[in-house]
Amino acid sequence: MAILVNLDELLHDRRMTLTELAERVDITLANLSILKTGKARAIRFSTLEAICEALECQPGDLLEFGDA
Amino acid sequence: MTKPQSTALPIAYVVLRILIVLNWFFGACILALLTYTLINEPWMVKALGMSGFTPERWVMMAMRGIAALGLVAILFNNELLKRLLAIVDTVRRGDPFVADNAYRLNAIAWLLLALQLLSLVIAGIGKAIASHGNPFHVDAGFSVAGWLAVILTFVLARVFAEGTLMREDLEGTI
Repeated sequence: MAILVNLDELLHDRRMTLTELAERVDITLANLSILKTGKARAIRFSTLEAICEALECQPGDLLEFGDA
Repeated sequence: MTKPQSTALPIAYVVLRILIVLNWFFGACILALLTYTLINEPWMVKALGMSGFTPERWVMMAMRGIAALGLVAILFNNELLKRLLAIVDTVRRGDPFVADNAYRLNAIAWLLLALQLLSLVIAGIGKAIASHGNPFHVDAGFSVAGWLAVILTFVLARVFAEGTLMREDLEGTI
C-alpha cells in the first residue's frame, strides 16, 4: 500500500498537458514529472493548493492511498 | 544574494595538503630511525642521552615498539587528513551535505579515538621504561582536549548524518 498520485487522470479529464499545468502553478516541469510518476518524497501544502486550484479539484482527487 | 567568499577554506585546503606531506616526512624519519636502531644500537643509546648506561634488552625493544606505534599513528593521521581534505573539497564545490561526508566524519571520529588509545599505550610504555632509572620521556598520554575532540566528532558525525537525511527529504519535496 502506498500513496498514489492521480495527476495523469486529472490532466486527461481536463484536457490539460503537464507543461500547461507547470506554467499555471509555477512549478518546474521536472518537479511535476517527479510528482506524476510518484517519485516525490513529500508535497508542500502550497503545491497541493496550487494544483487543486488549477485543476479545480480536491486534494483527495489528486492523492489516493492504495496498492502501488 | 551571493555567498561571501571565505578565505578559511582555501587556507584549510593548503594547510591540510602541507600536513599530509609533513606527516609522510615524519613517518619516513621515524622509519629511518627505527631501521638505524637495528643497525647501530649504541648510537641510539647515545642519541637518547643514556651514555654510560647500558639499557636492558627489553628496554631497547620497548623503544623500538614506541617507534613502531609512531608509524601506526602516521598511517592513522594520513587517513584522517585525507578524509578531512575530502570534506573541505566538498565544501569548496558547494555541496557538503552528502552521505559520504557523514561517513567520513564518523571514520575521523574512530581514527581520533584510535590515536588517543595509541597515545595512552605509548605513554604507558614510556613510563615503564622511565621507571628503570633512565631519563626517558615521551610526549604522549591522556589529553582532555583529545578525548573531547573524539566525543565532539562522533556527535558531529551523527548531526551530519541526520542533516543529510533531512536534505535528501527536502530535495524530494515538491
